[in-house]
Amino acid sequence: MDFTFSEDQLLFRDSVRDFLVNEVTPERIRGIWESDSGRDDGLWQQLAEMGLTGITVPEAHGGLGMDELDFVLLAQECGYVALPEPLVNTALVAVPVISQLGGQAAAEWLPKIAAGETRVAVGCSDNGLAEDAAQAGLLLWAEPQALYLLTPDQFSARFNESVDPSRRLYAIDIAAGVLPAASGEQAAALYQAVLDRGALGAAAQALGLAQRMIDISVQYTSERQQFGKVIGSFQAVKHHMANVAVRLEYAKAPVTRAAYALARGEAAQVAVSHAKLVACEAANLAAKNSIQVHGAMGYTWEVDLHIFMKKAWAMAGTFGDTGFHKQRVAEHIFADGVALGAGTTF
Amino acid sequence: MKLSFSPQDEQFREEVAQWLADNLCGEFECVRHRGGPGDEHHRVAERKAWERKLAEGGWTCIGWPKEYGGRGASIEQQVIFNEEYARAGGPGRIGHIGETLAGPTIIAFGSDEQKQKYLPGILRGEVFWCQGYSEPSAGSDLANVKTRAEFDEAAGKWRINGQKVWTSLAHESEYCFVIARTDPQSVGHKGLGFFLVTMDQPGVTVRPIEQLTGTSEFNEVFFDDAECDAADIVGAPGDGWKVAMGLLGFERGVSTLGQQMLFQNEFDAIVKLAKDNGAAKNPALRQRIADAHVGLKILRYNSMRMLSGGGDGSLQKEAMIYKLYWATWHRNLGKLAMDVLGQESEILDEAPYELNRLQSMYLFTRSDTIYGGTNQIQRNIIAERALGMPREPRG
Repeated sequence: MDFTFSEDQLLFRDSVRDFLVNEVTPERIRGIWESDSGRDDGLWQQLAEMGLTGITVPEAHGGLGMDELDFVLLAQECGYVALPEPLVNTALVAVPVISQLGGQAAAEWLPKIAAGETRVAVGCSDNGLAEDAAQAGLLLWAEPQALYLLTPDQFSARFNESVDPSRRLYAIDIAAGVLPAASGEQAAALYQAVLDRGALGAAAQALGLAQRMIDISVQYTSERQQFGKVIGSFQAVKHHMANVAVRLEYAKAPVTRAAYALARGEAAQVAVSHAKLVACEAANLAAKNSIQVHGAMGYTWEVDLHIFMKKAWAMAGTFGDTGFHKQRVAEHIFADGVALGAGTTF
Repeated sequence: MKLSFSPQDEQFREEVAQWLADNLCGEFECVRHRGGPGDEHHRVAERKAWERKLAEGGWTCIGWPKEYGGRGASIEQQVIFNEEYARAGGPGRIGHIGETLAGPTIIAFGSDEQKQKYLPGILRGEVFWCQGYSEPSAGSDLANVKTRAEFDEAAGKWRINGQKVWTSLAHESEYCFVIARTDPQSVGHKGLGFFLVTMDQPGVTVRPIEQLTGTSEFNEVFFDDAECDAADIVGAPGDGWKVAMGLLGFERGVSTLGQQMLFQNEFDAIVKLAKDNGAAKNPALRQRIADAHVGLKILRYNSMRMLSGGGDGSLQKEAMIYKLYWATWHRNLGKLAMDVLGQESEILDEAPYELNRLQSMYLFTRSDTIYGGTNQIQRNIIAERALGMPREPRG
C-alpha cells in the first residue's frame, strides 16, 4: 500500500506549475477574454512544445505515453491558473477515448493532437453544450448510444455566452448523414468513459482552483488592516479559511483514488463521483469564503478572485452536477449485496 | 502509488479473521459490537478478560517493535487487523490508551527501567491506563496546567497535588500519565514534567462525572500528596510538554484506524436500518447517507495517505486536519442516525434511562467536536500553522 506520488511525477508537476504560473497570469486571461476567438493560439503552441497536448498520446503516435495518474497532478495545476485552453479535456478525455477507438481514427488524429496541430474539443450530451467546438479542428461528441468524431464541416456550432468569460460554449447541430464513429454498446461504454473522465478532469481542476483562492485570500487577509490589526489574525476570519483548507486537503486523496482506478482500467464510476463531489464542494466553499474575507473588494471585477470563482462554479456543473453524482453514490450504497464494510477500503 | 494489499498481507488478514472467529464467541458473545463510544460501561469485566484473550493470541500492541514484545506489524497489517477486528464485531478496547498512547510514549521517551516495568502489563492486557492532561483551568489552553509535582528529597519521591478532569476510564485504570508543573515559577509549556502515577494509592481520588448519556465514562481525578517514584518521571523535569506533544503525534497516527472501523460499523447499521424502515426511499435522507459515505471514504483514504508517509509535503497539514474532519463528520452521523430512526429515536429502550445503540451514539457524538481539541482550536491551528495566517494576539 502506497498512497504517494513518485519523485518523477512531482518534479514534472513542479516544472509545469512554474510554467503555468509564469505564463497564464490573470492579466493574460483577461486579454484572452477580449480576443476574437476567446483562445490564445500562442499559448496552445507553448503547451504543445512542452509535450502537454500529447502527454497521454501513446509514444507510437508521437506522445509521451503517460497515464491518468501522471496527468491528474497537472490538471490540478491547470485549475490553479484557471487555464482557459482545453488541455484537461484533451489529455484526460479526448485522447484516451480516441485511443480506445483505435484504428484509423487514432492513427490520423493522435499525432496531430500531440504536435499541437489540431485542437480537439469534447462535448457530451449530458452537458448539452460543447466547449471550444468552434476553435477545434476535431470535435468528439458523445451521446449514450453514439460517439461522433466531427471535423468542422460536419457540424454547425452556435455560441452561447458563458457567465465565465473563459468558457467558450457551443450548441451543436450535426450535419445530416454524418455517421457515428461508434454506436451501440461500444458507444455506451465510451459515453460513460467521456463522462467519468470529464468529471475527473473537472474535479482535479477544482482542487487547483480551491488552492488558488486560498492563496489569494491568505495573502489579502495578511495585509488588510482593520481595528489596527491585520484581519487574518481574527478568528472569525481565519476559521473561514481553515474550513476551506480542510475540505481541500481531504478532497485530494479521493481525486487521486479516482485517477488510479481509471489508469488501471478498474471500475471507476463511484470513485469518480466521490472525487467530483468533494473537490467541487471544496472549490465552491473556497469561492464563497474567499469572497467573504475580501469584504466588498471580493465582489469587484477588478480583483482576480472571480476568475477562479466562476471557473469553480462551472466545474461543479459540468460532466454531471452534484445531484447526478450523489445519486450514483447513493445507488451504490443501497444496491443489494454490495460490500461496503471493513476490508473494502479500496 | 499502489492501492492494494500484497498476498502476504492478505494471508495475514485470513489469520486475523480466523483467530477472531475462533475466539470472539462463547463467553465473549455478550461483548460483540459493544463497548464503543457512548457504551464504555458495558460489561467491563468481560471486556477486560477479552483484553487478556487478545494478548494470549499475540494481538495486543501489534504495531510495537518486536524488541518490546510487539509484532512489529507494518502499517498495512495494522490496517488489516483493525478492519478485521471491526468486521468481527470486536468490542471497544479498554487497553487502547495503554497500547496506543502510554506504551509508545514510554518506548520513545522512557528509561529502560520504565520499559521493563510498564510495557509487559500493557502487552498482557492486564494493566490499564488513563490520561491526566485536562484540568479545570487547562482545557483548550492545555499548557495552563496548575497541578504541581514537588520532589520530596527525604522520601526520594515526587508528591503531586492538583486536579485532573474529563479523565476517561480513570475508574478502570491502574495507572495514569500525568503532566504536572515541576517548576512552580514557570508558566505555559515550560517547567512541566510527565509522570507515571499509580492510581491505587491514598493520594488519588476518582470521582465519576455523569454525562448526558446517563453513564460515566470520564472522571475527576484528585491528587492530594499523591506519590510517584523518582524513577517514574518520563524524561527530565521540564521535558513534560515535549513528551506530551510526542504522544499527541501517536494519537493522530495508527490509533485512528480502529476508530474508523467503528464508524464504518455505525454507518453500516444506519444503512441497514434505512433499508429496513423505508428511510432509504426518502430522497433527502438518501442524499445525506451518500454524503456520510463519501465522508467516511475520505477519512479512510486520507489515513492511508497520511500513513504512507513521504508524499508531497502536505502530510503534516493533513495530520492537523484529521481531528476537525472526523469529529464533525461523526457528529453529523449521529444526527443522521436519529433522522433515519424517525420518531422512534425519541423512545428509550428501557426505563430508567437505557439508550439504544444509535441514541447513545448520537448523544456521545455531541462531545466529538470538543474533546481532544475543540473544532475552534483546531481551526486556529490549521489557519496559523497550515495556512500561515497571522497569529492571534494572546494574553
